[in-house]
Amino acid sequence: MAWDLKSDRPIYAQLVEQIQLMVVSGIYAAGSKLPSVRDMAAEAAVNPNTMQRALSQLEGDGLLYSQRTSGRYVTEDVQKIMQIKNNLAADLIQDFLEKMNRLGFDREQTIDLLNHVTKEEG
Amino acid sequence: MSDSILECRSLVKYFPGCLALNSVNLSVPKGRIVGLLGPNGSGKSTLIKLANGLLTPSSGQILINGMEPGIETKKIVSYLPERTYLNDWMSVRTMIDFFGDFYQNFNKSKAYDMLQRLHINPVDRLKTMSKGTKEKVQLILVMSREAELYILDEPIGGVDPATRDYILDTIISNYSENATVLLSTHLITDVEKILDEVIFINMGNIVLTSTVDEIREKEGKSVDALFREVFKC
Amino acid sequence: MLGKLLKYELKATARIFFPLYGLIFLLAALNRLFWQINAEGLMIPRVIMMTVYIMLVVSVFIITLVVTIQRFYKNLLGDEGYLSFTLPVKTHSHIDAKMIITFLWSALSILVSIISIFILVADDQSLTQFSLMCGDIATVYHKLGLSAHLIALELIVVVILMFVSSILEIYAAIVVGNLAGRHKLLAGVGAYLGFGIIEQIIASLLIQGFGHQIMLYYDSFQLVQGAAAVVQPFEMTLLVLIVFSLFLCAAFYFFTHWMLNRKLNLE
Repeated sequence: MAWDLKSDRPIYAQLVEQIQLMVVSGIYAAGSKLPSVRDMAAEAAVNPNTMQRALSQLEGDGLLYSQRTSGRYVTEDVQKIMQIKNNLAADLIQDFLEKMNRLGFDREQTIDLLNHVTKEEG
Repeated sequence: MSDSILECRSLVKYFPGCLALNSVNLSVPKGRIVGLLGPNGSGKSTLIKLANGLLTPSSGQILINGMEPGIETKKIVSYLPERTYLNDWMSVRTMIDFFGDFYQNFNKSKAYDMLQRLHINPVDRLKTMSKGTKEKVQLILVMSREAELYILDEPIGGVDPATRDYILDTIISNYSENATVLLSTHLITDVEKILDEVIFINMGNIVLTSTVDEIREKEGKSVDALFREVFKC
Repeated sequence: MLGKLLKYELKATARIFFPLYGLIFLLAALNRLFWQINAEGLMIPRVIMMTVYIMLVVSVFIITLVVTIQRFYKNLLGDEGYLSFTLPVKTHSHIDAKMIITFLWSALSILVSIISIFILVADDQSLTQFSLMCGDIATVYHKLGLSAHLIALELIVVVILMFVSSILEIYAAIVVGNLAGRHKLLAGVGAYLGFGIIEQIIASLLIQGFGHQIMLYYDSFQLVQGAAAVVQPFEMTLLVLIVFSLFLCAAFYFFTHWMLNRKLNLE
């Protein structure tokens, strides 16, 4: 997955989101080892300190954990990952509903429209 | 030992008919990548030359790791000037030996590794190389030193986007741990992702020092956008 | 660190001088060959070969001067200065290294020229004459005894010091010329001439100031008979020359050092 960083928001916040995404989508599987900070920073073309800061926050959130000697791992707690996945999904849906609302669709209309569009695609 | 690798105390430098630095106070902490940003003629290069002992202050002080520029600071500062300073008559190999002879912290095998990745033959003479290749060799030499402070003057000025990516990648993956990188440029969009902090300098004055994320958080805009606002003509 | 600087300075200049020296020896040998073959119609090639040889010998000295200027200017004040002055090396080591290597090549150039002349002309007759001349010198040398050693030593020291001071004078002129924004070369030449004038003024002031004492000193030897009448004032004159050129060396050296440390402004 390519790192996609916008220029108007703090970089570390965007890194946090994208790493979360990578974990819940299974690019970094539960219990797997992460590359070194330096490698991840080089891959995302960001400052290692910023990457470090993002990873530390994710550690604080419990999504990652580090072992003093061997490096940093994704949590083995699948429940935790699912929870974050659900949170992300909920946020997305909330965001979507808000935008639809601004277009003038209320909740019912939105759900109808959604059903309609997915059927057409299917 | 102080926490700042570079410190300026009421630093003044004037040239005949021109005040290049106007009482600059500045402190660059260790372990950061710092952007020195300003338009042409703002005093960036003067500050960098002072830090390398290529100029002497008119008044005030500039300290590297608590020391005035001299032999001891030159041992720990790795400097990439805007010019290509390589000795034309040497081959790349001789140049590497030269760096190894004079700088104790020079890592030869690292240099050869990086050259190999770029398919540059160490036997080639610098005279026969294109300007772009020479600049890459120079960057490799500078980044192969395990220095405490890297001072890079316009490292991505006038290169194509692919080379720019290579240069930035080389910088972030090669500067030694706990070292500081001070990088001057006017191409902010390209570098802001790799910076911790920025220093805005204009007409010899420090206009602003801040972290990149602070600017984005507070101002809701990129450093580049803020720069355009501050230095609007 | 001086040793390492010397090493690279030598490497940078040897690639110019060694081929040149080789060429001089080659041409000297060829010339000799052409003169030995006693054939009609060789006159024109002979003249051409001789001209080329003489031009080469002259050009060695011009090139020595050019290399002196170019190495100092390019390596310290041009783009390469960005590297030279960020090496963990003291400024005076840079001056020392350049000075020593220039001295070395100048001495070698003279030696090579002399040897090439021997290659060109040496035969039984000229060698005998040469050894006779050496013999004469040795005789005089022995007659003078201890003073001969002193004079020889003083002569060597004077030559070396005068040579070094003229190298340092060039360096000082380059550094001054570099202060000029444009027309650096012109300013450098101007500075060189200026230094010459200042030297003249100092020398003539000294002679004027001490003229009377100097006259008295030399006059006092007219009463003395024998070798001592010549030797002692000669020794004294050389000593004064040594002191004066030592003073010039020191002045140019510290001036250049100060300028490089304080007034360096690379483009």
